[in-house]
Amino acid sequence: MGDTTTTSDDEAPSGATAASTARAPFAPWDRRDLPGMFSVAETARRVGNYKWTEMKLFEALGGWIATVPELDIKMRLGAHCYHHAWHADLWNQRLPELREMKPERLTVPANDAIVRFIAAMTEPEAPELTIEKLVGVYRVLIPRFISAYTYHRNNTSEITDAPTIRSINFILQDEFDDWRDGEMMLQSLITTPEDVQRAASHQAKLETIMVEAGGITGPGSIGGSSSDGF
Amino acid sequence: MRQFFPVEDLARDERFVQTNMAERLADTRNPMEPASNRKSAKSRSAGNRLTPDRPDASDRARGLMHGIMVGEIQALEGAGRTAHDFEAGDGSGDTIPFELKLDMARQAWDEARHVEISAKLGDWMGTELGEFQENTVLFEAACSNDPVLRLAGVNRALEGLAIDVFTQMKEFGDLAGDPYLEFCEDWMLADEVTHVKMGSDWLRKVTEKDPDRRTKALEFQQVVDKLFSFGGARGDHEESSFKLARRFRELAGFTDDENDTINKLGVDAFNERSQAVKQAQDAASAFADA
Amino acid sequence: MAALVAGQVSVDPAEFTQVKYDANEIAAIVGSLAETLGVSNSISLVVDETTLLAKITCSIDAPSSDATILINAMSGAIENTKHLTTLGVNQTQTSVGRMLLRARDRMRADFAGAGADDDLTLAESAAWDTYCAGRLARAGIEINTQRWRYNHRNRFGFSNAGDADFERLWAADELSWSEVVAGIADI
Repeated sequence: MGDTTTTSDDEAPSGATAASTARAPFAPWDRRDLPGMFSVAETARRVGNYKWTEMKLFEALGGWIATVPELDIKMRLGAHCYHHAWHADLWNQRLPELREMKPERLTVPANDAIVRFIAAMTEPEAPELTIEKLVGVYRVLIPRFISAYTYHRNNTSEITDAPTIRSINFILQDEFDDWRDGEMMLQSLITTPEDVQRAASHQAKLETIMVEAGGITGPGSIGGSSSDGF
Repeated sequence: MRQFFPVEDLARDERFVQTNMAERLADTRNPMEPASNRKSAKSRSAGNRLTPDRPDASDRARGLMHGIMVGEIQALEGAGRTAHDFEAGDGSGDTIPFELKLDMARQAWDEARHVEISAKLGDWMGTELGEFQENTVLFEAACSNDPVLRLAGVNRALEGLAIDVFTQMKEFGDLAGDPYLEFCEDWMLADEVTHVKMGSDWLRKVTEKDPDRRTKALEFQQVVDKLFSFGGARGDHEESSFKLARRFRELAGFTDDENDTINKLGVDAFNERSQAVKQAQDAASAFADA
Repeated sequence: MAALVAGQVSVDPAEFTQVKYDANEIAAIVGSLAETLGVSNSISLVVDETTLLAKITCSIDAPSSDATILINAMSGAIENTKHLTTLGVNQTQTSVGRMLLRARDRMRADFAGAGADDDLTLAESAAWDTYCAGRLARAGIEINTQRWRYNHRNRFGFSNAGDADFERLWAADELSWSEVVAGIADI
């Protein structure tokens, strides 16, 4: 290379002109942007909160399997239990990449209210309380996961934090699928005005604690700081 | 939700009726086909093994499939409870490693699929959900409050039993030419070998620096294995209903010595059960003669 | 211990010790079943309560329409599978019902070629069971059709031909023995 007297092996095919391979680093259709709202430390904090909450969720789903008499729901809880364990694992693997070499140090709840939320969500145990169990997971917690993950994905740097985005995309697919499963199970269980009341009052009770918590990662889970204009 | 969940509270719909080992052992009838009733000692159906050439093959296969299904439900519940009951930690005391919790969640998904498969197979074989009594011995015996004992009880003893039973059912499906049974059992067997291996690996790892704890866990496993031999229904001996699936057990981390021990437990249990049945039947005859 | 006799039905033993069966209840179920199926013969049912297996066989004491029907059942054949050691009404109807229909068939001249129950091949027995179970279902007894289809497939193969034979037998009412076992030639 660099030799002006090229051998026949390096010559372009007869009659052809060698085309340049120099291109812009980003193709015209690649509109990813560099700026992001989160520093490494802030990303790690959020990821730690995600992991803690996903763990609490898969533990709850696993524990409830033995407590629900409805066979189809029992089996769905088993499948969903693994989905959330896998999410926790993805976040556990991400933490060291975010300079947290002891992942358990950041595997914490966002605040005390989230701890109270989990306690309230996992309180129902009796076999006749399937509606309450499902409402807590599928009408309160998973919608909060979907919103927190969506906010994170849409506001982090598409270039520097691509690994987090990739995980979130996989996770969100599960969250949407599980939410749909859960909502359909609930709709099949809620068949009387009394059931509606039960579901709504339990949802309101849990939502109140979640609002106090500010979401999965605390206040700012989906933005909401004054600079956002909300 | 409580940390530990008692077997008597396992939630079921009204179709399911549960029983336990004490009730089953109180049944003094002979569970084995008397040798005098068999057409030929050389026939495949001469023993108690489930083979298609038994006159009662279809109904026994249906009953066994239902037993597998409720066993899978209990295994699903057991795996879910292990994911729930113990905090993530270094494995000491009431804690288990984070990765072990993840494995238990994965196992819960696998067992959920096995329930789905078993329910579909039950339908294929003409069995209704809850048609047969559910023995809760699997959850009761396997779900200890000590996480290491649970690994021994659930992942090695219970799932080891599943390997033996699935191998038997796979062979039955193959011989009968049933296109679904053999296929499904083959897939479930693959999962069970994974679960037993998981248990073997974790048991070794968690008790690495605590030989006493390991010994206690293996002793507990023997107790559960004897219980799971169901009065000698499992083992290499002629009268057993299920043969030990030694090749798959080896893949799952059982040593030859361990398999020999399980086989011996089966023979012991068979002899004890035979003696108990004989005593009960002598007593019944005496009553009838009177 | 003498057998219990109630109407056309006798049940031996009259008192059970290893299972929680009531001979009177068994006699009542069998009597009612016989009426449903139009069987007016005397019926002798002997239950072996020492085994939990489920084998059941029948014979008639003479090839005539007023023959006595002899049924030998292991206790599992009439057991409630949801509550072991207790009597199952549907299990009794299904097991004994098949035997009553077999016995009635045996009273026909065109069943002279049928061997004794213990001598039947597995395929002959399965074909006859399918024929009996179909008739029981039409008589109003609760029968899981798929159970019998599966049993038939285990003997006649998991194939379209086997399934067609099942449908033929299931829907039939007045077959001769040679018609019952006609499908065996195709296995």
